[in-house]
Amino acid sequence: MGSTFGGLNTAYRGLTAARTGLDVVGQNIANVNTDGYTRQRVTQSSVEAAARVGLFSTGVQPGQGASVDGIARIGDRFADAQVRGAAGAAGYQGVRASVTAALESSLNEPSTTGLATQLTKFWSAWQDVSNNPSAAAPAAVLLGQAQTIAGTLASGYKAVDDQWTAQRQQLDGLASQLNSAATQVADLNVRIRTAQQQGVSTNELVDARSVLTEKIATLAGGTVRDNADGTLDVVVGGNALVSGDSARQVRVTGDYTLSTATAGVSLEWTHRPGDAVSLDGGSIAGSLSVLAPAEPGGAGGVLAEAAASYDALATQLATQVNAVHATGTTADGTTGHAFFAFTAGVPAARGLTVVPTGAATIASGNGTGGALDGSVARAVGQIGLSTGSPDRAWGAIVSTVGAVAQTESDRSTLTDLSATSAKNRQLSTAGVSLDEENVNLLTYQHAYQGAARVMTAIDEMLDTLINGMGRVGR
Amino acid sequence: MITRTTNQMAVLDAQRHLTVSKARVSEAQERASTLDRISKPSDDPTGTAEALRVKADQAANVQWSRNAGDANAWLSTADSALSAADDVLKRVRDLTVQGANTGAQSQASLDAIATEIDGLRSDLLTRANATYAGRSVFAGTSDAGVAFRADASFTGTPGSAVTRQVGSETSVRVDADGAAAFGTGDDSVFSLLDRITTDLRAGVDVGPRLTEVDARLTSLRGVQSDIGARQSQILRAEDTLLDTKTTLEAHRAGIMDIDLGQAVLDLQMQNTSYQAALAVTAKVLQPSLMDFLR
Repeated sequence: MGSTFGGLNTAYRGLTAARTGLDVVGQNIANVNTDGYTRQRVTQSSVEAAARVGLFSTGVQPGQGASVDGIARIGDRFADAQVRGAAGAAGYQGVRASVTAALESSLNEPSTTGLATQLTKFWSAWQDVSNNPSAAAPAAVLLGQAQTIAGTLASGYKAVDDQWTAQRQQLDGLASQLNSAATQVADLNVRIRTAQQQGVSTNELVDARSVLTEKIATLAGGTVRDNADGTLDVVVGGNALVSGDSARQVRVTGDYTLSTATAGVSLEWTHRPGDAVSLDGGSIAGSLSVLAPAEPGGAGGVLAEAAASYDALATQLATQVNAVHATGTTADGTTGHAFFAFTAGVPAARGLTVVPTGAATIASGNGTGGALDGSVARAVGQIGLSTGSPDRAWGAIVSTVGAVAQTESDRSTLTDLSATSAKNRQLSTAGVSLDEENVNLLTYQHAYQGAARVMTAIDEMLDTLINGMGRVGR
Repeated sequence: MITRTTNQMAVLDAQRHLTVSKARVSEAQERASTLDRISKPSDDPTGTAEALRVKADQAANVQWSRNAGDANAWLSTADSALSAADDVLKRVRDLTVQGANTGAQSQASLDAIATEIDGLRSDLLTRANATYAGRSVFAGTSDAGVAFRADASFTGTPGSAVTRQVGSETSVRVDADGAAAFGTGDDSVFSLLDRITTDLRAGVDVGPRLTEVDARLTSLRGVQSDIGARQSQILRAEDTLLDTKTTLEAHRAGIMDIDLGQAVLDLQMQNTSYQAALAVTAKVLQPSLMDFLR
């Protein structure tokens, strides 16, 4: 037989287990809305009967109550990996979608004030000049319209340039976020390892680290490798960003304006300058992809390509107008005058200038048809309708940017969906359900009441035994 | 498999659904208020390019219509000037016929005829210098201000023409050939009139001059019928431009505009689904087991 007071101990263990259960329920309910919190459960087991020692049988013995073995963190590492993978893709597409959407809105098309409308007004102004050569008013309208086009091209280019610079500055911020997250993960690795060695619960630390690795995935993609000692490694582009207790740093190289960053922008390891980090996702990869320099086939970064299109358009407009304008004669009887010129040293789209200053310097006549001949001006006015006109080129630019924006927006919607569904799967396992916690609350409460009742029963039994003995017949 | 649904999941789902619904409502609102099917290029990239092209065509069409109006005014001015000149020349012919009856008239009456013809000559010069919007319609591309100076010299450049573009490939000449209508130098109608008055004052028989007057009348009418032909060409072009305007507008509206009924219906539908999402969220997020335990 066991000890007389053994039953009390069993009941006490039940009380302890139930109280721990209640405490954990309390922790879960307290953190129902905490971001990254993973629900916890008490793991308890029954304690077997004391081992028999000695030669003789001491009879059948019951177990000795319940033991609290630990507090388990109910996470799903596969769901976590899925969330990180989806977050990397969503981060990449998110940046691309927002950049292309902003680029698209900077085109200001279709509208009544966009470049397409400005161009049609420009061609009409040429016809008005053709109808009334040497008159001051139509010439002033034409020159004003030409200035407006130059201004629109310049501001369109500047919008792209500014967007590029803003994105470049944002990339610095993203890289420093990545560095800080990597440092924190390494720090948490150390604390988790120490806590685990001391046998202390690491659940909350693991939660915090999980949030950070998810952030790293959003920023730079990458994969996470668990180590046996409780630490983990974060591998980005094949190299360890975090390895146990040490974190490596990255930095962004490249200039801050589109025109000066000809060498491109890249992310490299601080400890190995010149070695670019090859990323497989994340918003840093998205930023790098939109900041890439223009390529001949149009496969470069969207911003640089858009700037190059503005330059090409300005050049095309100037070339086509000048080619016809040069054949015309100005009031002083000379030919070969340019209508548009470029300021040296700045991109074509920003340096477009208008050469003539009034009706006398616009070459509207062909020189042989009388002083008021307007045939050259009319020919310039017809450029807008030709198949290779700047209008068509602009239409192509607008529809290309529109198509890219549409694709990126669709992709971003899809990656967001998959990120949401991965997050949902993760929360489905790891999230706190209030109903469930309420049920657990009831269960542990009843378990506590039950254990207390057992203790009372044993107490009464002992009372009978101790205070009621030897009083027979009294 | 029963998916475990946690409170955070329910909250996040509800939030997401509300955000999506609200975004759709705002999009439908924008469409219904602007009635634009394409508000940014990514709504329909090919449609946008097409719309820009159609709008360029529309702008060209508007400019051609203006050109055609201008052309019409030029030609009308030339036509009425030629009609008036024709009347003047007919009167000159009558007077010449009258002056040719030398036997029956005194020199004084011949002088009176000559004086009247002098008056008609200056009248004719005014007609020949008819202007539209400050430009002589018979002087072509000349910037001299008048087609014929007082000494009857013609200022126009031979072979030059004032034209107006009224279609992508169509341009119409809008000035009248002053040289053909009134002649130049000794051949001009003014020199002819001078010769007639000189003859009349000298008492020479002006009968032979009649054929010259008739020749001038013929060439004047020839130019006038040419103007008439071009004016009808302009009218046809204006008709075509009007037709094209309607076609282009229909095309543009087909690409860029949204049907009002459709837009309002969409908005109403999105609004309803947003309200439904709100109501459902309110119902789903409220209860927990705590509401039912003592």
